[in-house]
Amino acid sequence: MKSLIRFFSSVKLAIVLIIIITLASILGTLIPQQRSIAEYTARYGQFSNILIRLEMTNLYHSLWYIGLLFFFSLNILICTLNRLSPKLRRVLRPKLEFEKKNLLAVKINNRFKKSWSMDSSEEGVKKELSSRHYRIKVNKKDGKTYLLARKKTLGLFGSDIVHLGLLAILLGAIFSGISSFRTNINISEGQIVPVLNADFKLKLNKFETEYWPNGSVKDWKSTLSVLENDNPILTKTVEVNHPLSYKGFVFYQSSYGWDWENPTLEIRAIKNTDPSFTEIMKLRLGEKIKMEEGNIEISVLHFVPDFILNEKNEVATRSLEPNNPAVFLEGWQDGEKIFSGWIFAKYPDFARMHSNVETDLKFELKGYEAAQYSGIQMSKDPGVNYIWAGCVILMLGLCLAFFWFSREIKIILEDDQGKAEIIASGLAAKSKEAFQSEFEGIFTSLRRSK
Amino acid sequence: MNESTLILITFILYILAAFFYFIFLFAKREKSANTGFRIACLGLLIHTLALIWRTIESGHAPFTNMYESLSFLAWASILAYVIIEGKYKIRKAGPYFMLIVIGIMALASSPLMPKEATPLVPALQSYWLWLHVSVTLLGEAFFAFAFITSILYLIADSREKKGIDKGSGLTSEKLDSISYRCVAVGFPLFTLGGLVFGMVWAYKAWGTYWSWDPKETWSLITWFVFALYLHTRIVLGWKGRRSAYIVILGFLAALFTYFGVNYLLASLHSYT
Repeated sequence: MKSLIRFFSSVKLAIVLIIIITLASILGTLIPQQRSIAEYTARYGQFSNILIRLEMTNLYHSLWYIGLLFFFSLNILICTLNRLSPKLRRVLRPKLEFEKKNLLAVKINNRFKKSWSMDSSEEGVKKELSSRHYRIKVNKKDGKTYLLARKKTLGLFGSDIVHLGLLAILLGAIFSGISSFRTNINISEGQIVPVLNADFKLKLNKFETEYWPNGSVKDWKSTLSVLENDNPILTKTVEVNHPLSYKGFVFYQSSYGWDWENPTLEIRAIKNTDPSFTEIMKLRLGEKIKMEEGNIEISVLHFVPDFILNEKNEVATRSLEPNNPAVFLEGWQDGEKIFSGWIFAKYPDFARMHSNVETDLKFELKGYEAAQYSGIQMSKDPGVNYIWAGCVILMLGLCLAFFWFSREIKIILEDDQGKAEIIASGLAAKSKEAFQSEFEGIFTSLRRSK
Repeated sequence: MNESTLILITFILYILAAFFYFIFLFAKREKSANTGFRIACLGLLIHTLALIWRTIESGHAPFTNMYESLSFLAWASILAYVIIEGKYKIRKAGPYFMLIVIGIMALASSPLMPKEATPLVPALQSYWLWLHVSVTLLGEAFFAFAFITSILYLIADSREKKGIDKGSGLTSEKLDSISYRCVAVGFPLFTLGGLVFGMVWAYKAWGTYWSWDPKETWSLITWFVFALYLHTRIVLGWKGRRSAYIVILGFLAALFTYFGVNYLLASLHSYT
């Protein structure tokens, strides 16, 4: 057990782990992750089996990678604890008795005599040091006075705090990995949907798309209400970068679309020989409508929002955007099909009609509407609070470690035949030049003072 | 007068600054270095105006495509240089650093980079764009300076070992220490801007703070390399050559995060 702890408290292990994790992470960016087996076979041939077996294709979620991160966390934890306790002892219960020769052996030191009594020298030194924001501890023993003055002591713990932050982040990542979940909800205006694993429902009041002047999408906005027992509790307009949070569930604007399965269509009939005649009919998919003219019934069998003929010469839709809406129209008279074919909203003269019986009628697709739905991504991630706490702790630690340098001055006051002898040494963690000039400043002004 | 004229003037000023720095380097005239520094400061000022101009004209942060972010990186690098030069007076690094800035500016001005400001896709419309990109690039500018001083260290070190010391006052020991100090500023900035702000923004825009996207992974890799640098240096006491090699490796990783991922790997971050 002891040797195991010694193994995990080694900084060399940390360095080896950092190198291995770095190399593994690089590998994961070179091999495309989480693709289909067919794609790996095409790419790597016979090696694809080995790669999949070694979880190289799902590297960051593989057992061995997570295991590495786990060992790394353990290493950080034990290393930090190992260093923390002697450091804490030094800070909280410092030794308040120093040897003269030890102080003089330190690079930054000073020694001088002054015609001061012991008490007034203690007062003078204390005043000077506290004016420079040092906190002072005093110990009197055997006629000597020992002073320990320190400031920015928290800087000593910078690296420990960084490690603590990292551990909080890793802990948060474990929580996220175990218990976070996300789903996509497609919701149309006015629709109410239950939320998975939650005791509330979600209602979409309004959905709109905003465009830039050049036609590209500026933003999608969904006005969502949270309903509890069918009572609206909270309403917020969700847009990209502005999610809605409620009870730990977060709702994001992630996509949008139209319910093209249930369009409402508007067909206009005109007469070739009589331009003044028009008849407009509203109908849904599959619905048969009787025209006022000539005992004809029409119905729409298919609708596509973005008409295209694919390589097999079949009708398909290129996208879900209404770029080239088209309907397949059929006309019936006395129970007999008299015409059928595609008509296009944007190309009214380009109808492809097959007629069994000649009619004087021409049809146009004038309107096509479908409920627009908003794609909302729902996620619940209990790990995320640990992540943010970890980030704050991490940054605090980095600031302490790199910009908050602890300084320590040790002083012995001794009575030497009516005069006070002052022996001092100073120690700074970093930025030693700045400390040296402060140290010299302290003792210059002490010599000058009365 | 418009933004591209201002950028052109900036570019010319940077080239002029580099020219005076090189006169200083070869003719050993302190005065030329001062002139070079002043011209670089003027360039920074005009560059700042150009960035403000672009921000007002496009209505969004001046780093949403490759051209803009390169121009901003050059600006951040000069800013970092002015800060470091003001603090440590290391003129000898000036000429080489100016070369890097000129390289970035040349790349930004090349016809390969589309320059027109396009409207922002919804995901980029966030104040986190400002925080995430500007702080990250500033951190990377400090890494760039650490990279230059590390290379200068390697040169100075091998010269000193051979006994050729030109006595320019910039010893290998000082270069090593400046390189460390640049990392000491760059590392917290990169952590804050690249990783922390990046995670917060990803959580707000995509609904997950980390998705192992290649750009995310590579910034983590960069972070690991500099963490390695700090641990080997502070705990194991590595200094000098080995430290310099790690800084060079770290900067190359940062460079790959910035460029390589966009052009070589498929990423959610491909906004160029």
